[in-house]
Amino acid sequence: MTPKRRRALSALCAVGLALSAPATASAHGLVGKQDLPIPRWLFAWAAAVVLVASFVGLAVLWATPRLQEVAERRRLDVPRVLEVLSGTVGVAFFAYCIYAGFAGTQAATANLLPTVIFVFFWVVVPFAGVVFGDVFRAVNPWLAIGKATGWLVKRTGAAGADGAEPLAYPTWLGRWPAAIGILIFAWVELVYADRDDPSQLATMALAYTAVQLIGMSLYGVAQWSTRGDAFGVYFGLFARISPLHWRDRALFTRPLLGGAPRLTPVPGTVALLCIMIGTTSFDGFSQGKTWSSIVPHLQDFFGSLGFNAEHALEWAGTVGIVVMCCFIGLLYRLGVMGMHTVGRRLSTRALSGAFVHTLIPIAFAYVLAHYFSLVAYNGQSILPLLSDPLGNGKDYFGWSDVTINYTWISATGIWYVQVGALVLGHVAGLALAHDRALALFERARDATRSQYWMLAVMVAFTSLGLWLLSAAAQQ
Amino acid sequence: MIASALIVAHAGHWLAGLLYLAPVLIVVGALVFQSWKDRRLGEDEDGPEPDGDTHRAST
Repeated sequence: MTPKRRRALSALCAVGLALSAPATASAHGLVGKQDLPIPRWLFAWAAAVVLVASFVGLAVLWATPRLQEVAERRRLDVPRVLEVLSGTVGVAFFAYCIYAGFAGTQAATANLLPTVIFVFFWVVVPFAGVVFGDVFRAVNPWLAIGKATGWLVKRTGAAGADGAEPLAYPTWLGRWPAAIGILIFAWVELVYADRDDPSQLATMALAYTAVQLIGMSLYGVAQWSTRGDAFGVYFGLFARISPLHWRDRALFTRPLLGGAPRLTPVPGTVALLCIMIGTTSFDGFSQGKTWSSIVPHLQDFFGSLGFNAEHALEWAGTVGIVVMCCFIGLLYRLGVMGMHTVGRRLSTRALSGAFVHTLIPIAFAYVLAHYFSLVAYNGQSILPLLSDPLGNGKDYFGWSDVTINYTWISATGIWYVQVGALVLGHVAGLALAHDRALALFERARDATRSQYWMLAVMVAFTSLGLWLLSAAAQQ
Repeated sequence: MIASALIVAHAGHWLAGLLYLAPVLIVVGALVFQSWKDRRLGEDEDGPEPDGDTHRAST
């Protein structure tokens, strides 16, 4: 067997093994009875047909790179006072949430902090970023504290006469701090036993703040916030697909997806995006019947090593989340290896970096598909929680009697939103990959040939996503 | 041993998932065939490779 055939066969086997992993449920989403005209698996087939049709359409109609260097139009200026004001609001809200975590009731559903963190911070902010651009940067409390501290130090001359220049940010560090930060947050959300404990969450938020302050003091606010602030980087990635771009105290408009190709593939970027997709996938996987049937075996294994039941369960979840992230990385790697066979002029490392931005819309599609129902239903609980943030019976805004309306969108409607998000996200990924291939490969035919592999990766990601969601619907 | 027992014991779960795997297998199979065909066509049409780097952009 030739090396090429061996590679093709191993790729096929890996994809097969990967997708023969069992179906699961969506973690936090609520799923009701769906009334679908066709079986759920047929949606996966239809999605694959849409992706293949999109691929053909791109190959025929999209002959030159259009997104590599997009023009941005300045729309409006943002006064400095607004920047200061939004930063102050961000810090004040952050401080209040921490206070609620410590001083409020420790019942997770009655305290403001868990819902703010796991529904609004983790899910709504990415949604807002894709629509309105990187709005989190305006209210980012850690960035605001860093900027204010820097301004104060400069103003008071506390840094000395010659000033204290920040260290050069190490090239090898890249986005690794962000990747590790997101993995730890996802671990807390999905695996950690005390994840709903408000005071524990508040403590962890303070610990994260301390890490940010140390990072900013060492490497400077600007460098650290764009590389090391896990949440700033995470939300910033999603905002790259937005048609709105906030920079230099002004709002610019650009074509949809136009910010993604500008992503610099520094070390850790591929890992970060694979972690983003992998943790969302594990969120679904961990709620399914298969994981439920496997986890006792893992728990027994870790129990036999001397861990108590709770810690053994956490170790089992840790194994699951890491394996899922590695699996996503493997799928992407297979696509890159396939592209490398075309022309063989670019190394797999170079191709991996060159196409990593195509994973951004896929990561967003996964977030939207998996968490839409969470936001649609549980998101409504923010009103009573804001009215009684500490859970001590207060009713500041008169919203404490507001209840969740489960009827504004049906379970079937949610399913269509999820399928639509997955299909559109992967078509967007294909378009970005096609555009980059046109810029990288000399001949349009080579560009198209290289994208056969990305098409396979996109179909695999789509099928995996629908598989996870359909299992949730069958719970 | 444990792994194979797990796979067999939970076959009902993952067998249904094979329906989701089918489009992936079809696309991968078609693409492997197509890329093989393209490569053969390319070898016939192109002749010897030109010298030097022909990239438009580098990463």
